Amino acid sequence: MGEFSNQRKEFLAQKIKPSAKRRSELLALTDSWIKELAQAAGVSQLGGAVVAVGGYGRGELAPGSDLDLVLLVPPSANPNLIPQVANKLWYPIWDEGMKLDHSVRTVAQARTMAADDLKVALGLLDARTVYGDESLCEKLKEQVLADWRAMGQKRLPGLRSYVQDRITRNGELAHLLEPDLKESFGGLRDLGILNGVAATGIAEVDQTGLASAYAFLLDVRDALHLVTSRPSDRLTLQEQAAVAELLEIESDDALLRQVSSAGRTISYISELTWHRVKHQGVTERKGILRRKVVVPVMSDETPLAPGVMVRDGEVVLAKTADPSTDPVLVLRAAAAAAQHGLRLQPETVNRLASESAPMPTPWPRAAREALVSLIGAGRLALPVWEALDQFEIFNRLIPEWAVVRSAPQHNPLHVFTVDRHLVETAINASTMTRRVARPDLLLIGALFHDIGKAQDRDHTEVGVEIMPGIAQRLGFDDSESATLVKMVEHHLLLPDVATKRDPEDDATINFVAQIVQEHDFLEMLHALTEADSRATGPAVSSEWRLSLISDLVSRVHAVLRGDEIPPPPELDPERLEVGASGDIEVLLDSMSSLPTITISAPDATGLLAACAGVLALHQLSVRTATTQTVGERAVSVWGVTPQYGDMPDIQEIARDLGLILNGQLDVSARLERRRQDMLGAGFTYPPAQVKILEDVSARATVIEVRAHDFPGLLRIVAGAISAVNVDIIAARVATLGSEAVDVFYVIEKTAGGAHLTPARAQEVRSTILDALELSNSVT
Amino acid sequence: MKLITAIVKPFKLEDIKVALENRGLHGMTVSEASGYGRQRGHTEVYRGAEYTVDLVPKVRIEVLVDDADADSVVSTIVEAANTGRIGDGKVWVVPVDSVVRVRTGEKGSEAL
Repeated sequence: MGEFSNQRKEFLAQKIKPSAKRRSELLALTDSWIKELAQAAGVSQLGGAVVAVGGYGRGELAPGSDLDLVLLVPPSANPNLIPQVANKLWYPIWDEGMKLDHSVRTVAQARTMAADDLKVALGLLDARTVYGDESLCEKLKEQVLADWRAMGQKRLPGLRSYVQDRITRNGELAHLLEPDLKESFGGLRDLGILNGVAATGIAEVDQTGLASAYAFLLDVRDALHLVTSRPSDRLTLQEQAAVAELLEIESDDALLRQVSSAGRTISYISELTWHRVKHQGVTERKGILRRKVVVPVMSDETPLAPGVMVRDGEVVLAKTADPSTDPVLVLRAAAAAAQHGLRLQPETVNRLASESAPMPTPWPRAAREALVSLIGAGRLALPVWEALDQFEIFNRLIPEWAVVRSAPQHNPLHVFTVDRHLVETAINASTMTRRVARPDLLLIGALFHDIGKAQDRDHTEVGVEIMPGIAQRLGFDDSESATLVKMVEHHLLLPDVATKRDPEDDATINFVAQIVQEHDFLEMLHALTEADSRATGPAVSSEWRLSLISDLVSRVHAVLRGDEIPPPPELDPERLEVGASGDIEVLLDSMSSLPTITISAPDATGLLAACAGVLALHQLSVRTATTQTVGERAVSVWGVTPQYGDMPDIQEIARDLGLILNGQLDVSARLERRRQDMLGAGFTYPPAQVKILEDVSARATVIEVRAHDFPGLLRIVAGAISAVNVDIIAARVATLGSEAVDVFYVIEKTAGGAHLTPARAQEVRSTILDALELSNSVT
Repeated sequence: MKLITAIVKPFKLEDIKVALENRGLHGMTVSEASGYGRQRGHTEVYRGAEYTVDLVPKVRIEVLVDDADADSVVSTIVEAANTGRIGDGKVWVVPVDSVVRVRTGEKGSEAL
């Protein structure tokens, strides 16, 4: 045993809380030993240098770290002498039992290696002279950096796939219950990678919180190595308590929360950096890596929503937007970003976090809808969500969220922390919105179904206590709130019954039927269960297990009574007075939280489509609509929100409606053009669904359309119905977040307004589906 | 030694586990399975549309036991899994030449 070995042993035996200071002491100890060895080996006779690379180069030596060393030699060095010096240098290190990653190279050789191997290149970017000729190392760094810069556009796609590989293999540090501190995404490995990206000069790396998150993970790794006396970087459950104790953190759960939070910071910055790299047009194409001319999907400075716009491929606030007077702005910006597959610019998030006015209670309708719209964007919501989380915005909006944020769960079935499990469930639910009558309740129920976790009691009980408060704060009415609470209360009902009770026993089926009561709720619970299972982990989401649940659900559907379909809407008499003269008349009531527009016009086929068209043309989003025919007139009442800025002039709406009805204004071409401008990147919505509801109305055939909302959706659907000579006598339209659920009461135009035959109803159905498909495929 | 394999209705797993534990048997392997026997699947009517389920979900339970215990363990499983309706499943027994416990290297009955 040499002197170094004893000193090192003694140093590591003091189980002192790891810190940057301790790391630098271990580094100094190791460096001085390497210096001694290098001197004794005759490195200076060679004119060479001993250079530390990678983590050792950055000075981040953990107790179990390998020593990554390069013996750098000048081209003029005596080739016979090199092996002797190298052997004298390496053997004592091996003899100490230290793990050594070693090489002997000239600057030119190292440079060639770096050109071929990404990891070598990244390691050399962090090179540091431990002993010998410093100018050699400087020269090496200078050249490797110059090469890296010149070839950045070619190297980055490879680096990106390396990161993707790590995510696939090692998961995300922030959301795993047993993460790998180095290799999981958001782990220690990412700092070297981010430094590499920054060194290319192609994209800027946001530094907020990066250094402290990184330093914390280094501390945890040091503690893990000290506790286990092994070099493994996987923070397994069995070691967490001892590691927490050494770090003077109060519990293993608290440790995992802090690890998660640090991992989140690093992965958020990393995601954002890669998004910027992509925006710079660095992509891989047909085997040739090249930098494309940047053609953004949307032209710059495109408005997305009131006060929200796109700049440089990121979502920012418009000049006139003021978060301090507009509490909904933060959610509107987030929803717009997610729906268009974009990121929020970090400065924007920062500003929203620090300047936003507190959200009034209950939330305004627009805020609730923006939240639904945000999570309804599915996987595209994830980076936006992480950005809000990074600045703890969601904690402020929903204080209950703070309890589950980064919360570990001691359950072998789960792979994610509680908050990520909730978000993953909501993302899964976003693909099932067509299966339910209330997509908004499904998404919100999914987001909060486990909100009672991370407390000492049964999580369902706690959830049932917490959920009413959340639902009311979000502005849901009593019956909606009751549905949400019921979802939380029974989110485990279907899997429990499906796996533990006899599905062929009537008692089992009746038991479930008693609880769910209605088809609509059963459909919602089924979708929630599936979304929840898939977000839990592979152990509970096999097709086998899901088929047990589907089987149970179909048996329960069979015994439930039919849902009551509400009768055709009837407007209040005051509204029906509008336009009694018979001309087109348009009225605006902007006093309520949702401005309403009442339109009266002579009844004609295609009137509803024309009204929907004129509102879309004036950049109004239809949130609700009710129509009714009164003799020769049709009256419709529309709840609308302006897509950007102020309400349009009501007289212009009346004038344009007249022009459309006379065939003097073609609204479809103009709307289509605008819609194409607004299409986001790569977002696939669940396909539209059209159902014929049989025998629910004595007066008319009822058609329900569920689809992703977009400007002009209603015009296309109503237009398709009119196109096959069918009259719409009444309609009820609801837009929930970004999902539309529209019900039309239709009759044959001929033969005294009879119900549609089944064949005619199918014709209407396929006409609507064709029209929607056509509008989605236009490029 | 014998390997007992049982294919049973999924919701019977809990009952079988409890019954075997009460007999002092604590180890078993459970896997998800699907298939059909004489019942040839079953037909469902769901909201007016008839669809046929060909492969019915089942669980597969495997237990290793001493020769002497095999018959009574089979009876225990059959009793716990029985509902008296079609699709209750099957249980079969095959001889096993040798068994090794990986952790300790114990062999034969010792390893059970």
